[in-house]
Amino acid sequence: MPDSDELVVDAQHLSRRFGAHVAVRDVSLQVRRGEIFGVLGPNGAGKSTALRMLCGVLDPTGGRAVVVGHDVAREPERVKANIGYMTQSFSLYTDLTVAENIGFYASLYGLAGAARRRRIDAVLHESELAARTGQLAGELSGGWKQRLALACATIHQPPLIFLDEPTAGVDPLSRREFWERIHGLAAAGTTVVVTTHYMDEAERCHRLAFISHGEVFDSGRPDDIVARAGLAIAEFIVDDVDQATYLLQGLPGVEECAHYGRVLRLAVHGGEPVAAARARLDRAGLAVHDMRESRATVEDAFVAMVRRERRA
Amino acid sequence: MRRLLAVSLKELRQLRRDRLTLAMMLSMPVSELLLLGYAINTDIRHIQTVVLDRDRSAASRRLVVQMQATGYYDIVGDVENYEDIARALRSGRATVGLVVPARFSSDLTRRRPVRLQLLVDGSDPQILGTAIDTATGLAAARSAELATPGLAQTHPRPASAPLSFEPIILYNPEQRTAVYIVPGLIGVLLTMTMVMLTAMALTRERERGTLEALIVSPATRLEIVGGKIAPYIAIGYGQMTLVLLAGWWFFDVPTAGSLPLLYLLAALFIAAHLALGLLFSTVARTQQQAMQMSFFFLLPNILITGFVFPFESMPLSVQHLAQALPLTHFLRVARRILLKGAHAEDMNHEIAWLAAIVAVFIAAAAVRFKKKLL
Ligand SMILES: Nc1ncnc2c1ncn2[C@@H]1O[C@H](COP(=O)(O)OP(=O)(O)OP(=O)(O)O)[C@@H](O)[C@H]1O
Ligand SMILES: [Mg+2]
Repeated sequence: MPDSDELVVDAQHLSRRFGAHVAVRDVSLQVRRGEIFGVLGPNGAGKSTALRMLCGVLDPTGGRAVVVGHDVAREPERVKANIGYMTQSFSLYTDLTVAENIGFYASLYGLAGAARRRRIDAVLHESELAARTGQLAGELSGGWKQRLALACATIHQPPLIFLDEPTAGVDPLSRREFWERIHGLAAAGTTVVVTTHYMDEAERCHRLAFISHGEVFDSGRPDDIVARAGLAIAEFIVDDVDQATYLLQGLPGVEECAHYGRVLRLAVHGGEPVAAARARLDRAGLAVHDMRESRATVEDAFVAMVRRERRA
Repeated sequence: MRRLLAVSLKELRQLRRDRLTLAMMLSMPVSELLLLGYAINTDIRHIQTVVLDRDRSAASRRLVVQMQATGYYDIVGDVENYEDIARALRSGRATVGLVVPARFSSDLTRRRPVRLQLLVDGSDPQILGTAIDTATGLAAARSAELATPGLAQTHPRPASAPLSFEPIILYNPEQRTAVYIVPGLIGVLLTMTMVMLTAMALTRERERGTLEALIVSPATRLEIVGGKIAPYIAIGYGQMTLVLLAGWWFFDVPTAGSLPLLYLLAALFIAAHLALGLLFSTVARTQQQAMQMSFFFLLPNILITGFVFPFESMPLSVQHLAQALPLTHFLRVARRILLKGAHAEDMNHEIAWLAAIVAVFIAAAAVRFKKKLL
């Protein structure tokens, strides 16, 4: 957990317009040192755009941001020297080898001589890429590409790294290992801002921001966000899940009704709708084998938020 | 500087892996030169000619033989009247019809002016020019010979000829295409490769998303752009050297002037096109667009700068337009240095133009190329 109140990212009312389209609207975010800060939002919500503005790659059309102690608009180069950025799409040179890519980024970030060699060896070791130094980056598999990208983004040991959907298309084991590295970096004092569509990853963040249509909907610790969503979860085990779904959808207070095999998962506001749902299933004569209450997750809160947003 | 070198090194490594591009860039100078030098022959010789000889004297026959001896005219037949000449020209059997008037020899001996008629198919202006020029020259030589018969035997082209219309061709008396083509080819190749490679090298980074990583690094604009284009400057000079060597090897193209001067002025020319390529890369979203823009730019360079068609024969408005193209000026610089041994002070006008164009292009590129994604 972050052990200091020092703000590494302080964005105030950031906005970005592309023509008539507003991609990011009035976003304010604060990230503390050593924190893993997750940014969640549906496709096109403006996550990448927001990250790009914080990195100084894209100028905001409104608002300002102070990153690692420097105003991004006024001292972009100061900011750039102190951050690492892993872009959403793989952005290394596919026609260069692993070693050449890492070496290039090391030089690009001003490393030279023995320090350069030490850092290259260190990231090769951490990312376990040492045995693949001669392989072309374009020929690596997804998980290895992502390791290489992280190695390049952290070659200069930046105090802050931005990761834009770093684990998209990566297998579960590699994802787990990747998050272990992220937690390792954070424990060593590196601040991490990461966007993701994976809810298990969201739950591993210290704090989260929900973004939809370019606006921050809610932000805070995952537990708090889930609590604020005020959802109760009930799972019914029924024979005819389709019929049950049909009956329960649209019932007052029912936020979400989804089924996994024979399990019908109901997200509702407050406690009464659960009883009402049970009664409705009984009335229809559907056999309910079991019913249990469970904890709401970040995913539940996220889906509820996006749904509410779409209805509005 | 270290960052710039790192970018250059990276670019060279990528280039080394891209064998096809590399092979193309190295084989182009020689193959283009051979193609243009051997296949495209812009000197006009062997013009098919029919003769309407109304004199039928020894003198008229001698004239026809002399015309054939210049190598420019091939006598393909005798005709009876103007109608025959018209038919021959229409059908393409001949391009030129020569009419020797009756009383040709008697007028000659009486020193009366003689008018020979040359009917030329005007569809090809270049043929027209050659045919008339040569005939004028021949006529002049003949009149001189007739004026001073004794002298003519020992001095075929007396300097003191009374009617000296003879066209004198300096610097490339044999009118060999290759000699003229080499300096031009240096310019055209540099135009093509410098603009296209720079534009594509940068749009490739944009297209593959690697530009974002460069922009987010602390490397400056100059380090990124300078590092990327430095290898291409070397390639440009390499191509230039190859054309010069191949021209010398295959076609004995002379180098009358100072090569260091040529290489120095080529730097201005290369700089103009690198800046233009950079400018294109800020507009093009994909490599394909960058390539299209480069070809679009190349076309007027080939057509209106004097590379293929003589500059003086173009309408004035087009000539004015051509002033904005660096190649127009570099062509003159390269031809004058290589063929005539010109010095820098002989080309003040061209050098000033080149410098002005470079300044404008670089300013435009600097304004457009921001170290931002958009
Ligand atoms: N360069 C651009 N020009 C025009 N519109 C853009 C540009 N970049 C992004 N947008 C638009 O801005 C909006 C936000 O895009 P952004 O990439 O930030 O979303 P995102 O949250 O990262 O989505 P995803 O989860 O798909 O990565 C989208 O509607 C997108 O079309
Ligand atoms: Mg994105």
